[in-house]
Amino acid sequence: MHNHTAGSVIALCAVLLAGTAACSSSDGDSKTATGKPVSGGTLTYALTQEPDCLDPAVSPMQATAIVNRNIFDSLVSLDSDGKFHPALAEKWAVSPDGTTYTFTLKKGVVFHDGTPFDATAVKATLDHVVDPKTKSYYAASLISVYRGAKVVDASTVEVKIAAPTAPFLQALSTAYLGIQSPKALTRDAAQQCQSPVGTGPFQVSAWEKKSSIKLTRNPAYAWAPPTAGHTGPALLDGLTFQFIPENSARLGALTSGQVNGVDGVQPADVAQVKGSGSLQLLRADSPGTAYSLYLNAKKAPFSDEKVRIAFQRSLNLDVLIKSVYFGQYARAWSPLSPTTLGYDPSTVGTWAYDPTLSNKLLDEAGWATRDSEGYRTKDGKRLSLYWPYTPLFATDSRTILGQGIQADAKKVGIDLKYTSVDVGQLQKDVLTGASDLYSTSYVRAEPDILRFFFASDQTADKGGGNAFHFSAPDVDGWLKAATGSSDDAVRKTNYANVQKYVLEHALVVPTYVPSYLAGVSKKVHDVKFDPSAYPVFYDAWLEH
Amino acid sequence: MPATLRWLGRRLILAAFVVFGAATAAFAAMNLMPGDPVLTILGSTNPTPALIAQVRSDLGYDEPFAVRYAEFLGRLVHGDLGQSYQLREPVTEVITGQLLPTAELALTAFVLALAVAAVLAVTTAGRRPAVRRVVSALELLTTSSPGFWIGILLLTFLSFRIHLFPAAGGDGVNGLVLPAITLALGMTGVFSQVLRAGLERALEEPYALTARARGTGETAVRTRHALRHALIPVLTLSGWALGTLLSGAVVVETVFGRRGIGRVMATAVIGRDVPTVTGVVIVSAVFFTLINILVDGLYRVIDPRLRQEKA
Repeated sequence: MHNHTAGSVIALCAVLLAGTAACSSSDGDSKTATGKPVSGGTLTYALTQEPDCLDPAVSPMQATAIVNRNIFDSLVSLDSDGKFHPALAEKWAVSPDGTTYTFTLKKGVVFHDGTPFDATAVKATLDHVVDPKTKSYYAASLISVYRGAKVVDASTVEVKIAAPTAPFLQALSTAYLGIQSPKALTRDAAQQCQSPVGTGPFQVSAWEKKSSIKLTRNPAYAWAPPTAGHTGPALLDGLTFQFIPENSARLGALTSGQVNGVDGVQPADVAQVKGSGSLQLLRADSPGTAYSLYLNAKKAPFSDEKVRIAFQRSLNLDVLIKSVYFGQYARAWSPLSPTTLGYDPSTVGTWAYDPTLSNKLLDEAGWATRDSEGYRTKDGKRLSLYWPYTPLFATDSRTILGQGIQADAKKVGIDLKYTSVDVGQLQKDVLTGASDLYSTSYVRAEPDILRFFFASDQTADKGGGNAFHFSAPDVDGWLKAATGSSDDAVRKTNYANVQKYVLEHALVVPTYVPSYLAGVSKKVHDVKFDPSAYPVFYDAWLEH
Repeated sequence: MPATLRWLGRRLILAAFVVFGAATAAFAAMNLMPGDPVLTILGSTNPTPALIAQVRSDLGYDEPFAVRYAEFLGRLVHGDLGQSYQLREPVTEVITGQLLPTAELALTAFVLALAVAAVLAVTTAGRRPAVRRVVSALELLTTSSPGFWIGILLLTFLSFRIHLFPAAGGDGVNGLVLPAITLALGMTGVFSQVLRAGLERALEEPYALTARARGTGETAVRTRHALRHALIPVLTLSGWALGTLLSGAVVVETVFGRRGIGRVMATAVIGRDVPTVTGVVIVSAVFFTLINILVDGLYRVIDPRLRQEKA
C-alpha cells in the first residue's frame, strides 16, 4: 500500500525546497480584494478515501493523517526547511550520547475532554503507540527505537531511545504521533477509533460511516506552533470531510459548488480546474520516494548489472511521464523525491534515455540473438522479466505508465511481463523474490525512507521495504552514518552517496514524483501544506 | 395448511444449508487466496515483527485451517460474525449500521423498475411493431449499459449542470433519486420484456376475448385482466432481481458516495478484512434465501394449483 504514510506538522508553505511544492496562492489568484481573513463558516472538503480508524496510533492511511492533523498537536513541529520548532514541547534537550530526549512541556494546554496536558499524557501516548494491543499499523514502526518515558514532573518528560536516531524528532512531528488524552486512552479500541481526543484546533463532533466526518472548532485553542500563520482558535467554525471515492463524481461535486474542495484531482482534470473562473488548483510534491521500480538483483537476468543498466536506459521517461500525466507530474531522477531533505540534485541527467547503450550492453551480456517476435534470447531462452502489479493500488494512471514502460523495453528486445495480479499474489511474488521488478512510492518527509528500501536489515520479513534482499556493505555503512548523525551536512553527504550508488548500479528506476493535487473554490483561502504535502486547515478561511 | 407448514419447514432447512454453504465458500475463498493473509492485511506499511505476530494470533492464522474453520462455525452458530480488522468494531455492528440505506436503495429501485416496466409493457404489448421495436431496443440498451456509466451521466446532467440532486451522500429522499434510477434502469428492461411477453400471451387467452365481448375497454382488459396473469413470472423473477440489486448496490453506492453495505463490502475486499467480507456474504445469503422463500410462498398464494399438488 503506497501512499500510506507519515503526515507532518503544521508548517509554512512547502515552497522552499527545489521550488517544486507550492502554496495555495501560487496557482490561482486566491488573494482577493478583501484579502483579510474572516472567521466563520464550515468548509467541506471531499476526500478520496475514508479513514479506517481515527486513532492516529493505529491507522496508516493518508486520509487519517489529513483528518488527524486538525485534531492533534505533536510535541514538535517541522518546517519545510527541515528545521524543528516547539509545539506542545516548549523546548527539548538531547543527552550527549543521543539516547535521551528531555522535553519541557507547554503549560495551560487542555485536551478536548478537559484533561490537562502534561508529562503523563506524553508517556501515555507513546506507551499506547508501542503497546502490542494497540496493533499500530504504522506509528509504532516510526518510533521503533522508543525504550520508554519517565515523568520527571508535570511539565518535564524524559524519553529514552535505543540508539542515536536523527529521524526520531521527525517521527514525533507527524500526526501519527499526535499527543492523546490519557483519560480517553483508557476507553476501548472501538471508541478510540471513533472519536479520539487531542489538543488540536478542531475536535470530532460526528463520524457518519461511509459518509462524512464532522469537526468543530476548539474555542480554547491558544497554543498554535510558530510554523502556523496565526494564533488563537481556528478561523473556520467547522470542517467537514466528505468521502467520494469516484473521481468524476468528486470533481463534479466541486465544479457544481456542492463542496468547497476536493483532493485526488486527476492530472487529466487539472486543465478544467485551472480554466474555471471559480476554482483554483493547489499542489504540493510529495516527499519520500518517487514512484520507482525496484529491480531484483538476486536473480537472473537482473543479477547481471549490464542487463539492469540496459533496462534503466531503455526507458524514454521524459516523454512518457509528460504524456501520461499531461505535464502535471515531474519526471524523477532520484529515488528520493526533490522535496525530501537530503535529495541529491546532482542525480539529474545521470542516467538519461540511451537505447543505443542499452542495445550495446545487452549484446555484451550475451543476449545477442533475437527470436521471431523481436525479443532478445540467450541459449534459446527469451529475455523475459516479470513485473506484477495490482490494479487496486494502481492510482495515478500507473497502469498506463506501466504499459508505456513495457513498450519502451520491447524496443531494445526486453520482454517485460507487466501482469495484473491479486494483492495477495503480488505480496507473495515480491516477497519470495519470484518477481524481477516491484514498483511503489512512499510518502515520508525524511530521507530515512532510503534505509527502509535499501538497508540489508530492512527485508520484508523484518517489516522493511527491501523486498529483494539487496545488500551492500557500503550502502549499509552510509545509511548507518546518516541515521546516527544529527549533523545535517553529514547526513546529506551519506544520503547522496546512497542515491548515487543505487542509480549507478541500476537497482532502482525512479519514474515520477507524486504530487498532492487539490481543487478548491476561490472563496477558500490559506489552505497550506505540511512537509508531507498534506493540506492543513488551521489557517484556512472562507470568503462570505 | 399442514402442507404449507411442511413446505415451509422443508424450505427453511434447505435455506440453512444454503447459508452454511455460502459461509463456507466465503471463508474458504478468503483463506485460500494466494499470499500471506496477515502481510496482505498489514500491507507494506512497515509492520514490526511483533505486530505481525500479534495479528497472526488475533486472527487465528497460527492455527491449522481446520481449527480456524471449526472456530468460525462455532461463532457463527452463536450469531457472532467476529471483529472487523479494519474498523475495530464487531462485524454485526458494522453491517446493521449500513443495512438500512442499502435496503432503502434496493427496494426503491425494485418498485421503480416494476412500475416503469408495467407502464411500458401495458402500453406497447401487441401494439404496432415499430413502437414495440423502439421500446424494446431502448430496454436492451439500458439493461446492457454499465451502472457506473449511467450513474455518471445522470450526475453530470442532474447534479453537476442542473443542481437538482446532491453529487454524493445525501441520506434523504433527494439523495435516493439518482442512485435508485441508476439501479432500476438495468432491471426495467428485464421486467418489461417478461411482462410484455406474458401480456401478449394473456391477451390471446379466451378470458381476454370474453372481457372484450362484454364490452370492456382495451385499457381495462389489459390492466385488470391480462396484467394480473402476466405478473406471475415477474414475481418468480423478483427473488433473483432483489439479489442482483443488492450486488448492483456495490457499484452504485461507490459512484454516488452513498452509505451502505455495498461500500462496506468494496472496502473490506480491498483491505482483505476477512471477518467483514464473510459477514456480508452470510447476511446477504440469509436475505437472499428468505426473499426466495417469501416469493415461493406468494406464488402459492397466487396460484392455488401449487398448493393442491402436494396436499
